[in-house]
Amino acid sequence: MTLARTIAGWGINVAIALTALRTNLMRSILTTLGVMIGVLAVILAVAVGDGAKISVMESINSLGSNMAIVIPQPENNGGRRVVDRGRLTERDAVAIRRLVPGVSGIAPQLRSTVQMVIQGRNATTTAFGITPDYARVANVEIETGRMIAEADVRSASRVIVVGPSVATKLFGSFDPLGQSIRVNRVPFTIVGVLASKGSSLGNDNDDLALVPISTARQRFATTTVQGPDDLHVMFVGFEDGIELSEAKKNMVRVLRARNNVPKGEISPFTINTTEEFMEQTGLVTSVFQGVLVAIASISLLVGGIGIMNIMLVSVTERTREIGLRMALGAKRSDIRNQFLVEAAVLCVIGGGIGLSLAAGLSIVLANALDFPVVVSLSTAIGAIVFSAVIGLAFGSYPAIRASRLSPIEALRSE
Amino acid sequence: MPATRGTDVASGTSGTPLLETRHLVKDYVLGGETVHAVADVSLSIARGEFVAIMGASGSGKSTFMNMIGALDLPTSGTLLLDGVDVGGLTSDELAEIRNRKIGFVFQQFNLLARTTALDNVATPLVYAGLNGVERRERAAKLLADMGLADRMGHTPAKLSGGQQQRVAIARALVTEPLMLLADEPTGALDTATSEDIMTIFQKLNDDGITVIVVTHEPDVAEYATRRILFRDGRVIEDAPVANRRRAKP
Repeated sequence: MTLARTIAGWGINVAIALTALRTNLMRSILTTLGVMIGVLAVILAVAVGDGAKISVMESINSLGSNMAIVIPQPENNGGRRVVDRGRLTERDAVAIRRLVPGVSGIAPQLRSTVQMVIQGRNATTTAFGITPDYARVANVEIETGRMIAEADVRSASRVIVVGPSVATKLFGSFDPLGQSIRVNRVPFTIVGVLASKGSSLGNDNDDLALVPISTARQRFATTTVQGPDDLHVMFVGFEDGIELSEAKKNMVRVLRARNNVPKGEISPFTINTTEEFMEQTGLVTSVFQGVLVAIASISLLVGGIGIMNIMLVSVTERTREIGLRMALGAKRSDIRNQFLVEAAVLCVIGGGIGLSLAAGLSIVLANALDFPVVVSLSTAIGAIVFSAVIGLAFGSYPAIRASRLSPIEALRSE
Repeated sequence: MPATRGTDVASGTSGTPLLETRHLVKDYVLGGETVHAVADVSLSIARGEFVAIMGASGSGKSTFMNMIGALDLPTSGTLLLDGVDVGGLTSDELAEIRNRKIGFVFQQFNLLARTTALDNVATPLVYAGLNGVERRERAAKLLADMGLADRMGHTPAKLSGGQQQRVAIARALVTEPLMLLADEPTGALDTATSEDIMTIFQKLNDDGITVIVVTHEPDVAEYATRRILFRDGRVIEDAPVANRRRAKP
């Protein structure tokens, strides 16, 4: 049994399979349909999952690559929730900057929803009260004009930097720079427009405005904070190469000490690092993708059962042919391979069509869902290999049954 | 291994019979009762013979044919095919014997539908492991010998019964077997076509190939040189054919 013979043998089996499949064209098409839909569903599930992963990772990256977010909310400790709201202050920010090694910038924030009005047009957006470090830590860039400066914070001046969506909504194509605008009825001057960060998972990242943190504290009623220097959130940026888990431990130590939290009590604040976000969302999207693929796999399984069913019918119908081939010298393995190849060809054709449809649909879906739906090369190759495997797996029982037929009984059948 | 097949044929000395059975028995269990389909048959067929095996249905001739065709194994007794004891062979070894040493011709032709005459004839060579070019060459030559050079691309549905049977004979000959085993080869043909087919068998036999025809038609048996008659699983008559019919020149 030389290699050439083996290859020639498989080649002839493909030819025999194609003849047999053409003979029952309608039946072959309907059978293929099952595998096609199965492969289509599985590929789309993988593609949507991959797309979601990419999208989430992108939006985490857009936060800033090496940073931690501190919020004044008691950490969720195994379901034991504390009713008291935690506290986070600007003095905490100063302490972290001084006591935690590797901090490159710190961006305390106050957040409030504001109404912006100019010449009969208005827009509702989220205004962030920030310090100059915000730009570096949160990865935002200025398109035109300037960022909030240290002097603005010191003097609590009424200057504002708007996101591109807000600029467009209020000014259209007109340059907003230097324009006066009323924010919650207080006049502000627009000093800058942010560069666009696009959108992620349906969130418009450009719908915001930035003001000095001191101005926000004075001008916008912030009902959710208690003290004179309380914060809503604090972004802490770290230098490259800093171990974020280590940095987090240091921050926890500093903040617990400042809040006099006794040993064993839960912290009144929560710290999440970008690293943790990546891990958590990676896990979530993987589970999400796994569930999608599992559901889609059921249709592929049904397709496979369809293949097995039709192959059993085919073997029964062609019993006489099997007997004849055995009389002409076909070994059991020749008969088995013939039917295995037939099942595999059926599945690969279905898989190929399913793959093409999935590739087309992924483009449509990507446009409709506003996040990438990616059919990668490895998914494509995997789909074809997987459909061949489905064919071999579900074709093996009928094929083995065919190969075990007795030649005389097979020849005698009508 | 086409090279060795040639040697096999050549090495067969007239001393060893092509086929020899000793106390051959085949039992079937039907409804709890044992039926002796073939009961104690001992005979020998030499190379170059033209044998007609006759008998009514149920006489055991078909069972006997299945065994000498290596399609079925005996319950007891010995069957030597070209000197090889078939009794102890695996299904793969039997398949190889059928492929290399036996050419089957069936009553219903048994051609593959939707497959051209050429590919039908070439099919046994697939299992012999020949490449496509060689398969086609040999199949084409045999079809031409059968007078079907202009029908090679036709599927069985487009061929007459006689043409189909000639395709089937070409297929049986394509692996250069030691013997042709024909089961009621004229059963589905009219008289004139039957004569044509038997003439072909006679000519092939004249060229040296052993031909064994299973039939219940006395006319057909008259083309043979020897007639073996089965009844109730036993040979009740085994004699040369007295007035052998010769084909028209």
